[in-house]
Amino acid sequence: MSNELVSVTIDGVLVQVPKGTTIIEAAKHAGVLIPHYCYHPSLPSPAVCRMCLVEVEKAPKLAPACVTAVAEGQVVHVDSPVAKEARKAVLEFLLINHPLDCPICDQSGECELQDFVFQEGRSGSRYGDYPKRYAPVEDFGRDILYVPNRCILCTRCVRFMDSVVGDPVLEVYERGDRAYIGIDTEQLLDHPWSGNVVDLCPVGSLLSKDFLHKARAWDLDKTASICPGCTQGCNMTIDTRDSVVVRLRPRPNLDVNRHFMCDTGRADYRWMNRGDRVEAPLRLEGGRLHACEWDTALARLAALVLAAEGSIVVLAGGRASCESIGWTLKLAGDTRRAAAMKVPLGAEAAIGNIPNLALRAERAANVEGARVLGMTASWTDAVAALRGAALAIVLDVELDDGDVNALNQVAQVVHFATVPEPRLQTVQLVLPVATMAEEQGVYVNCDRRAQRFLPARSAPGMARSAWWVASQGWARGGDNRSAPSTASEAFGALAPFAGLDYRDLGLTGRAIDVAVAGAVA
Amino acid sequence: MAIGVKVMARPEREVSYVRATLKGMALTFKHMLQARVTMQYPEAKSTDDWRIATRWRGTHRMLTDEQGRSKCVACGLCPQICPANCIKLVPGEDEAGNRYPLIYEIDEFRCVFCGYCQEVCPEEAIHVGVHYENSEYSRDRFVYDLERLSAQTHPVSTLWDPSDPRGE
Repeated sequence: MSNELVSVTIDGVLVQVPKGTTIIEAAKHAGVLIPHYCYHPSLPSPAVCRMCLVEVEKAPKLAPACVTAVAEGQVVHVDSPVAKEARKAVLEFLLINHPLDCPICDQSGECELQDFVFQEGRSGSRYGDYPKRYAPVEDFGRDILYVPNRCILCTRCVRFMDSVVGDPVLEVYERGDRAYIGIDTEQLLDHPWSGNVVDLCPVGSLLSKDFLHKARAWDLDKTASICPGCTQGCNMTIDTRDSVVVRLRPRPNLDVNRHFMCDTGRADYRWMNRGDRVEAPLRLEGGRLHACEWDTALARLAALVLAAEGSIVVLAGGRASCESIGWTLKLAGDTRRAAAMKVPLGAEAAIGNIPNLALRAERAANVEGARVLGMTASWTDAVAALRGAALAIVLDVELDDGDVNALNQVAQVVHFATVPEPRLQTVQLVLPVATMAEEQGVYVNCDRRAQRFLPARSAPGMARSAWWVASQGWARGGDNRSAPSTASEAFGALAPFAGLDYRDLGLTGRAIDVAVAGAVA
Repeated sequence: MAIGVKVMARPEREVSYVRATLKGMALTFKHMLQARVTMQYPEAKSTDDWRIATRWRGTHRMLTDEQGRSKCVACGLCPQICPANCIKLVPGEDEAGNRYPLIYEIDEFRCVFCGYCQEVCPEEAIHVGVHYENSEYSRDRFVYDLERLSAQTHPVSTLWDPSDPRGE
């Protein structure tokens, strides 16, 4: 694609787009959505569905908008009677064998077939009692079911597995009206990125077993977020139903994850719905933990930090936001600390044919953010530093027995907790904090891209964001200290992000340019 | 007098009430001879020329299939359309892989009997009923669960008057 611009008129709107753009993409600039099934911006276009037929002036017949490049002075009619008649006929063909099971179909409500038939399809069928083709539901492996009856053979799934993943296990079998999507015998659709075929499927033909019958599309509240599963930082949408997270889906971001998300990230939402949460601040009094007000707890937090003789060690979990890490480090003070983030490791799994997109080995979202903010020690060093430390601050970490034993050697522990940790014996203060699904924050991914996530559900009980707790504790620890009042302020107040606020990041993030060495907050 | 007070002329001696009583009784006996317009509810619930309208919208009924299971597929349209938000639905999957309601409850106190649930139901499962006697001894008995909705036997509403083609 060159930089040369061409002018085209689409449904009366004059737009200028780079030469080589397809009509369907140019139409998006003109604010016109051309109905389509086989076309997907992240996949090659075979023009098989014939749904995007549009009328191009001076062309002999209708052109498929997904593969026709725009030309200078072209006049395109999407809404003309001829084009509409053609699409209506295509829809009628698609509906010949499509079952009328929308009431029990998981895609119902977000189904492109429903949408376009409602928009420009026939209101009735001309096939009457003619029996519909029937084939039983197939299990494609791990998380995916194939319902052949509903399939409209757009082949998005086939092309995704073939050209994006590079693991061509799906294929169109048979021909004509007997055609169906088949899987190689002996094979399963179990590539780590195969779950994307469910999102790609425009109808309810490929279904997620995990989400099956769980919620209807119109019940879901959608929140822009960032996958906390690894350092890739895929943009995702958290779908909640009555404040319960039921599904994670990729959110398009051409610079990070395009339209995709791995199965590991997709399945990792159950911890967001945990019921056994810490709901009130707890402080140690007379050998037992007692619930108390935030004011009391914050004063105690400030006093503990001020009174700590010697070193303070900060241990953070992999889902901690930049704000939480930055303000906890600020709370701990500049000079006396060892700080580390616990990063679980796993096997790296690349998607195949998209460069720089993989399920990363470091299975924590904010490793780079922690590094930028000065949390540079390794986990083993930080745990070793616990010996002889005066105070340990634990920021929502999944601790193993070794970590717990080391922490129990420290005289005083402050636990910023989402869930209770009864194994810790020297806890002075338990502060209930929100999970990443319940707060705003920023993660910095492996390419140093700062990306925002938004709260999808409310935090239980008295839980607050960890940055709020840390900054309030910090403000109470000295004169002339004022804590930030919003998450955006808390973000901008951190040295590596100075001068930035949430508006600068937008919803697709922004690359930040800082050196690790000069970044100690 | 300036403000127009009416001064009644009171009888100065006792008068008989017999004439007034006879007048009253005459009216009573006249009605005994006329056609009856009331009905002996609750002994009689309808008469020849009056019965409850078939489009009456009363407490709900869930229809069942030949195997006695509810026809509901838990599509979620009725809780969505319900203006009073009185339908609670939790979908599930049975042994055969069919979608069905794990929980289906209607709070009849909250219901406004608009009949939208019946109108929107793609399976013709939930119906408002031609039924109006709903007294109970406790408030929580007015939350009808699936079992109770399916066990109801009263006729279901036609939602419109079949004799009036304009109704549909």
